[in-house]
Amino acid sequence: MTSVGRRVPRVDAVEKVTGSAVYGADLALPGMLHGAVLRSPHAHARIVAVDIARAERVPGVRAVATGRDVPFTFGASIRDQPFLAVDRVRFVGEPVVAVAADTELQAQAAVELVDVAYEGLPAVLDARSALAPDAPLVHPDLHAYPRGNHEIVEHSNVDTVARFRHGDLAAGFARADVVFEDEFSAQALSHAALETHVAVAAYHPASRGYTLWTSSDRPFQLRGELAAALGLASSQVRVVVGYVGGSFGGKNTLVAEAVAVALARQAPGRPVRVELSREEDLTASQARMPALVRLQTGVLRDGTLTARRAEFLWDGGAYASNAVGVAVRGPKAVFGPYRIPAVEYESRMVYTNRQPTGSYRGYGTTQAAWACESQMDMIARRLGIDPLEIRRRNGYEDGDAWINGQVMHGLNAREPLERVAAAIGWGTVDRAPAPHLRRGKGLATMIKETATPTSSNVVLKVEQDGRLVVLCAAPEIGAGQATVLSQMAADAVGVPLDAVSLPPADTATSPYNGPVASSRTTFHVGNAIRTAGAEIRRKALALAGDLLEVDPADLDLSEGVVVARGVGPRATLGELLARRGAEGCSLVAEARYSSAGSPLLAADPGLGSVSTIFWMISAQAAEIEVDTETGVIRVVRVAAAADVGRPVNPVGCEQQIEGGVVMGLSNALFEDLVLDGGRIANGTLADYKVATLQDVPEIVPIIVESDHPEAPFGAKGIGEPAAAATAPAIANALCDAVGVRITDLPLTPARVLAAIEAERAREVAAGGSTNRS
Amino acid sequence: MIAVTVTVNGTRHDVEVEPQVTLLELLRERLFLRGAKEGCGVGECGACLVLLDGEPVSSCLVLAADADGRAVETVEGLARDGALDPVQAAFVDHGAIQCGYCTPAMVLAAEALLRRSPDPGPAETAEALAGVLCRCGSYPKVLAAVAAAAATKAVR
Repeated sequence: MTSVGRRVPRVDAVEKVTGSAVYGADLALPGMLHGAVLRSPHAHARIVAVDIARAERVPGVRAVATGRDVPFTFGASIRDQPFLAVDRVRFVGEPVVAVAADTELQAQAAVELVDVAYEGLPAVLDARSALAPDAPLVHPDLHAYPRGNHEIVEHSNVDTVARFRHGDLAAGFARADVVFEDEFSAQALSHAALETHVAVAAYHPASRGYTLWTSSDRPFQLRGELAAALGLASSQVRVVVGYVGGSFGGKNTLVAEAVAVALARQAPGRPVRVELSREEDLTASQARMPALVRLQTGVLRDGTLTARRAEFLWDGGAYASNAVGVAVRGPKAVFGPYRIPAVEYESRMVYTNRQPTGSYRGYGTTQAAWACESQMDMIARRLGIDPLEIRRRNGYEDGDAWINGQVMHGLNAREPLERVAAAIGWGTVDRAPAPHLRRGKGLATMIKETATPTSSNVVLKVEQDGRLVVLCAAPEIGAGQATVLSQMAADAVGVPLDAVSLPPADTATSPYNGPVASSRTTFHVGNAIRTAGAEIRRKALALAGDLLEVDPADLDLSEGVVVARGVGPRATLGELLARRGAEGCSLVAEARYSSAGSPLLAADPGLGSVSTIFWMISAQAAEIEVDTETGVIRVVRVAAAADVGRPVNPVGCEQQIEGGVVMGLSNALFEDLVLDGGRIANGTLADYKVATLQDVPEIVPIIVESDHPEAPFGAKGIGEPAAAATAPAIANALCDAVGVRITDLPLTPARVLAAIEAERAREVAAGGSTNRS
Repeated sequence: MIAVTVTVNGTRHDVEVEPQVTLLELLRERLFLRGAKEGCGVGECGACLVLLDGEPVSSCLVLAADADGRAVETVEGLARDGALDPVQAAFVDHGAIQCGYCTPAMVLAAEALLRRSPDPGPAETAEALAGVLCRCGSYPKVLAAVAAAAATKAVR
């Protein structure tokens, strides 16, 4: 029986349900020291003096590190971030001094004895002020930093500028009957993975290298980033990743890692563990980037879109981190899964004196879809068109050209929307179940491309006992990678699923892989597994032919058993290898998949670099209930559909879809990292509320299929598109329920109530009765 | 140092701990039972939930010294002779596990619920498990798993 396509239990389930799965936070090594960090109390200040003498005298303290001890900077796109602040702090919570001691308590006690004298500097606390001509510069040396080839504005706070344009904007707007101009904002969010950032680092003086055991979604990219920062060859750094307790785009740079490395340098031979407290994780790791999105959209009276221009202003925080890519690529999603003849965006990211930001499940899509899908409903209402109908009218179809002219194949653009509309009972609503309650329904849809080109390598190995080992640097971050990769490997070779194992990712033994990000793992690693699996199969059958003295062409490998055609089972894979006896034997195959050069990427001249190897489309429909006296929104039901290609494990797809709705709902209604004078005012899980089991509505997960010509076993990706449509679907339902449009997230009771009251005041002023459109 | 006698998953342990050591630290760092996780250290996330004399507690808020003379159950004690207990099996079968960081706590919270209330409705289950956060959003499948475990236990 093949494994792909079946509802199999996750391969990591038993380990996890028995408490034996080892996460980054569970690692304990002999001689391991524990780190603690003194963090900046200032949003922006000069460091005048640092006195560590008292801290060094605390019993148990083995190392104290200051910025001057680690004179290096890191950053995926701009090398702007010190391991520990050197002469300036740029956000509240920035690491300044780190201590390693025998116990965590000793380290914390020592940290409290460090004296740092600061001289305050004017701070920039939001993106608009960062653009002011006289704004203080967060990084006066921006122009001098090593960086990639993206555009910046020297001697300003603008650390990223990205533009895209296709089609005749002027003609598109000229042809429009109505031009809509609206502005939307999306707030700062914490990834709030249950496992906080944690790392153990060891320095090896003989090789001048490091080993880093960490919870990260990208072992090879982290290795590259660290090696580049320290001026080492990449193979001098080894990164090992076990189970990761949630990432959501948040565990992709040097957070706990930077401090652990700084301390390990000072304590050769002693591994140093650094684990962020929840407060540190919420306030001083990475956040989802706040965004201001200005949309200008031209529309014909029948709802046909003629042109769209988008301006993004991203509040990137104190360091560029992984946010540059979000600012460059994220805005593509603002055009939605819609045919728009002329499109343009201008995206600017600025430094501010708040915690660094970066990617968050969807890579800018949550912010872009919030704007796109809110405005689609505003257009529909204003033109008197049904919100489902306007989306149908503009929606892509297979074979349409995407924003860069790339022909879209391998997606099911229509079905997600139709399926969720049907599931939610679009067109009917029990408007007022009680005098103070109003119900409404809302729709949203979104499109996401994937990072292109990227590559994945795998090595497959058959052990002496016939088990199949998949060596690949694709950590299981929770999204089910290990299971789908095992399923594909099992089928590609012809062994049962329980004969497959994926050891922890280790850059010393695993071949190169891109990050577990951009919903790319199933597709890219799966393609490499498919190729390597076929090779293992050939080798196994050749070995069997040799040992059994049968023509390999007459043999088949299924469920780990070699079967001779017309004869029957002859030997298991394990028995075959055992017949090599004392001589020993293993079967190995490697393969690489890269999306580079695929004919599917052909686009209009000059726009090929924008192409994507696949698209993911999802849609959600929400029914909500609003308490008009309190402003509280209760989400009653959400139908969520995503085009996954072919599901490798339908249970895993449902997990992603349901989990995406829960996260999206939580983001939409509850979450906001509130900045108060440069300090995060809600740095605990009591104050930064995330959804609990009691907040969960009925969720209807819908898996939509499509045929992608290059997908392994037909599978694309699912992780990111699951989350982005929830917030706009809820806001659109809110408007349907009570006629108010809120363009800023989150949709808090206070905000909803204020909007309802403002609407009532308008109605009274107009002297008329309710005339909700 | 304080002498503490605590029974964990049926095994008696005599340990000496410093006064400020929490039950979570005792379990993880002294007894090497790492199923209970620290997600916040201040009782807000539920990842460290264990059963103390059968009652769910946030073990990060309980001093090890206060567990003296009491019985602790952790997720490691649920499976017998390699066989998962019905709640664990239901979590596996119903896909109630993603990153898994909250899973030990969620399973124990469900275990305590089903001992108290063998046939809970979804609202009762949601209330009983609401103190354990799952950022992956496995909640719908957790509800299904708990209902299935209740049915299995009823049959036994």
